[in-house]
Formats: sequence, structure tokens, C-alpha cells
Amino acid sequence: MAAVIELEDLQVKLGNRIILDRLTGSLSGRCVGLLGPNGSGKSTLINTMLGFYRPLAGRTRIFGTDVQTGLRELRAQIGYMPESDAFIADMSGVRFVRYMAEISGLPSGEAMERAHEAFFYVGLGEARYRKLGTYSLGMKQLAKLAQAIAHGPRLILLDEPTNGLDPEARQRMLQLVRDIRDTGEVTVLISSHLLRDIEDCCDQVLILKEGRIAALCNLEEERKANRKFLELEINQANPNGFLDSVKGLGCECATFGPGRLKIVLSDNIELRQLYRLAAQHSVQIRRMNYRRDSLEDIFLKAMAGRPAPPPPPALAGRANGSL
Amino acid sequence: MAVYKRTYKAYRGALTPGWSRFTVLARYGFGNLFESRLFTAYTAFCLIPSLVGLVFVYLVNSTAVQALLGIRMGSAFQVNGFWFLNFLSAQTWMSFILTAWGAPGMISKDFANHSIQLYLSRPLSRTEYLLGKVSGLVALLSCTTWIPVMIVFFVQAQLAGHGWLWENLWIARAIFVSGMLWIVLMCLIALALSVWVRWRIAATALMFAVFFVLPGFGFALSIVLRTRWGWLLNLVHTLTMVSGDLFHVPLGRLQPGGGRLGGIVPLWADWASLLAVCVFCLWLLNRKLKAREVERG
Repeated sequence: MAAVIELEDLQVKLGNRIILDRLTGSLSGRCVGLLGPNGSGKSTLINTMLGFYRPLAGRTRIFGTDVQTGLRELRAQIGYMPESDAFIADMSGVRFVRYMAEISGLPSGEAMERAHEAFFYVGLGEARYRKLGTYSLGMKQLAKLAQAIAHGPRLILLDEPTNGLDPEARQRMLQLVRDIRDTGEVTVLISSHLLRDIEDCCDQVLILKEGRIAALCNLEEERKANRKFLELEINQANPNGFLDSVKGLGCECATFGPGRLKIVLSDNIELRQLYRLAAQHSVQIRRMNYRRDSLEDIFLKAMAGRPAPPPPPALAGRANGSL
Repeated sequence: MAVYKRTYKAYRGALTPGWSRFTVLARYGFGNLFESRLFTAYTAFCLIPSLVGLVFVYLVNSTAVQALLGIRMGSAFQVNGFWFLNFLSAQTWMSFILTAWGAPGMISKDFANHSIQLYLSRPLSRTEYLLGKVSGLVALLSCTTWIPVMIVFFVQAQLAGHGWLWENLWIARAIFVSGMLWIVLMCLIALALSVWVRWRIAATALMFAVFFVLPGFGFALSIVLRTRWGWLLNLVHTLTMVSGDLFHVPLGRLQPGGGRLGGIVPLWADWASLLAVCVFCLWLLNRKLKAREVERG
């Protein structure tokens, strides 16, 4: 898949502090998660992509266009939902979204039509004529999403979209993000410090720590790999016969405690074959888990280790910190 | 993204030309201002001096109406540069209230809830943002300052005969230049203060302070230090002197108290003072009008 966002030795300095330190990587997922603890540089990276901050060194390319040289053209293709409040309090929701769509270049009539559609899409259809200042926090978040998508961008940048939302509103927001992602017409980049949000929506994740890339990995591939990694709990302490049979299928097998097995399935093996073998050896399978929380593992590993040092100039262009 | 389908769809239709985006801001700015009935009523009220001016010009030029009303307007009532200067001053004072009322709201609303970042994340530069806001204000203020005065000028030219127009064409130029000077200065000060304090009421109050309190300070400075340069802090006086020169009015006639309150500041200093204020406002706007503030440290 072609890279949507390319970071090349990107360095951003604000005041006297280096906030982003030589980021190099290529983001090509349909939905990319930007993870990291508070202050790790997530929002700064988004702001740099939008051209709000000028990099000290390096460059960012979006859809192959350099942010510094083709900013205006790029901004027309980007929808941005900021983390903080961003609205005009005494304007009705639909008028505000129409206004923003018109600034993005939509003709007045089209902007009006798409503003209404965006409001219905995010589930605020009934509240679209109310003034934005009267909206609840969850409604304001949805209105921000509506203004980010109304002009039909190719890339949507969502900065902490579930901030301050109750569980129900959070689920609704994540469902919308998944819906947008699944249309295949747009790339979504979500910045968050919530692992579940990223895991629910994203197929690629960039983890930042202290302004450097701590990990850049493809979650989809991780998930595929994990689907072949089983943890079994059985009723026998030494199931040697069962283990030998499983190995005979070509799977890797190991015990990690009495009655507990880890199995890596080979490509052509289906689960029913395992059940069949268990029945043959009178083994009861009491619990079977796929390995889960892969992102949490990745995140914890990334946070435990030192952030990847900036690559030497010879390696510029390759993703650093990938697992 | 049809309503009934409720799915996301990218937009593939035609886009408006890039250069015209700032007009969207001007259009919406206008719309927001005139949502208030009081503001609309006051804008209409601002045109009353023009109606009075029209009636006056008609009276001066029509001996028949003078005879009908039993009045005689001799050479004491002349429609000349001094008359147009006073007429324009009346219009600009009405417009000052309009600016102080409307302008801060146009920008401070964008800063109050951080929506400025949404503007600037779109294909719109900071200059275009400012141009959009300023052009809306300039259009509104033009309609209440130099345009009505210019209409009165042409009515006068029509009533007085063709010779008058060619002899006094410089007045038309003075009306336009003076009017635009007032407008640009008021707009820049109002917008710069709004961006600086980001609170509508405070920006309005500061605007009154700049035009009414600062001159008092300048006057006190002039008295205490026995200098004439304190007058430069009086923007209204400075503008009046510059306009007076454009309208070919002797500057001594425009000096408050007939010059007893201090000497006249050279005209170049008045121009320099106006220029300095404009540059300062632009500097403030450039410094404060940003999508993101950078913390120093």
C-alpha cells in the first residue's frame, strides 16, 4: 500500500525544547493510530502535518506532497478535528459546518447540503439548528467530527476524539471512525493515549515517547500472527501423547505449567483437528484463548525500552523503531 | 454522503477558486453582524447625517425653495472643502460606534473557543483570514462614511452645474482618501485589540480608551512637559489634521482652542504617527493571529 504520510528526519523545536526528534517513518494504513503518553509529541506531530509548526529539520510528505511547499493544496484534502474546544458558540451547528466547508472550497449550495448530511451522519440531525454553545461535550465532539468530514477530505486527523466522552458516546464515536475507515475513500489518523481506542479502529500504530518513535508497527499483521498463537488449559498435567500428536501436525508446542500449553498453529491447521486429537487422547480442553492485547504488549515494550535513537543519515528514509 | 444512506463519501465536485475564499469570511461576517436588529437599526441611523446633508445641499442650491421657505442662505452657507470635511467627520463618528460595536465580535468569537485553528487548517492563510474580516468591515464602513458623502458631492455637482465638478474634483479625492484613512485605522485598531485581548467587551472598551483616554493622557503630557508632541497620542486630532490638509482647510482652523492649547505638530509627524499605529497593529496581528501559541521555555 502506498504511503499516505512520510516522515523524513523530522525535527520540531518549540521555544527552547525539541518536541519531535528526528522522526523517520512511513504510515500507510487506512486507519493509523498515534499513541503515546501525554507530552510525547502526538499533537505537535499533527500540528506539524497541518503546517502550524515549521520543522527545524527534515520534512513531512502527505500523499507525496511536501507539507512545506504544497501546504495549501494539502489542507484542501485534510479534515482536522482538534483536541480542544473549537467552535463559534453563537452559530448554529449546521451553519458552522457549512461555513467551514465553504472555506475548504465547496460552493455554497454543496456546502449546505453536505453540512446537513454530515450532521445526520454523526447522529446530530435533530440538533443541527441549535447553537453550538448549548451543545453537551459529546455533541461538541460530534460537531467537530462533522466539520472535519463535511468537505469530503482524503485524510482525517482526529486529535483525541474520545476525550471526555461517556462510554456510550465513546463507542458511537469509535463506530463512526470505523465506518469512515471502512468506506476505503479516506485515511484516518487518530491520536490518543487510550490503547483500546487505537486497537478498536486502527490497522497501523505509531508510538511516540519523548518525541521519538518508540514503535511503528502494523497491527493487522500482528493480529493475523496472533490468530495462530493459542493458549490452552487442559485437564492433564503431562499430556505427552497429545503434545506429540499436535507436533505431528506440524505445530510448535510448549508447556508453561501443569495442564497449560502454548501452541503456534501452522498455516494449514484448523481448530477442529486439535479437538479431534484431544478427543483421541481423552484430553479435556477447559480453556482456549487466542493471544490478546497485542497492542498493550507492544506499547508496554515500547515504553519500557529507551526510545529509538535518531537514525544515522545513511538510514534516513527507513522506519526506525519497528518491532 | 446522502442523508438516507448515512455513509461517508468523499467530495468530488467542483471547488471555488482559491483566491475567493476570503470572501466567505466577509459574507458570513456581514451575516452575523446583521443578525442583530439593533445593529441593523443603528446602521440605518448612521445614514441620517447624509440625508440632512442632501437636504442642505438642495436648499443651498435652490433659490426657489429658499424663497418658498422664506429663508435666505447667502455666502455664509457654502458647500466647500471645509463643509465636506465636517460632513465626513460626522459620518465617521457614527461609524466609529459601528466599528467598536461590530468589529471586536468578528474576531474575538473565533478566539474565544479556539475556532481559529479550524480556519487555518483549511486552505486559508492568516493574511486571507485577516483580509476576509477586514474586507467585510471596510465594505460596511464605506457604506456609512465616504460613499454617502460622495453621493452628496455628486448631487452638489449636479445642482451647481458642471463647472463646479471640475473645479472641485479634488474634494472627491479628499473624501475617498480621508474616508479610507479613517476606516483602515479603525479596522486595524479594532482587530488588533480583539486579537490581543480575545474578549469582545474588553476589546470594545479598549477601543474607546485608545480614542478618548489616550488623547487625555497626551494632552496632560503636552501640558506637563510643555511640548506639542503629546498631540500625536490624540488619533482623532491627528486624523483631523491630515484630513484637513487633504480638504485644503487651514490647519490653524482645526487646532482645538484655536492653537491656544499648544503649537501645531508638523503634518509629516501626523502622517508618521498614523503609519506607526498601522504598523504596530499589523505587528500585533501577525504576532497574535496564530493557530497555535508556542510556549517559550
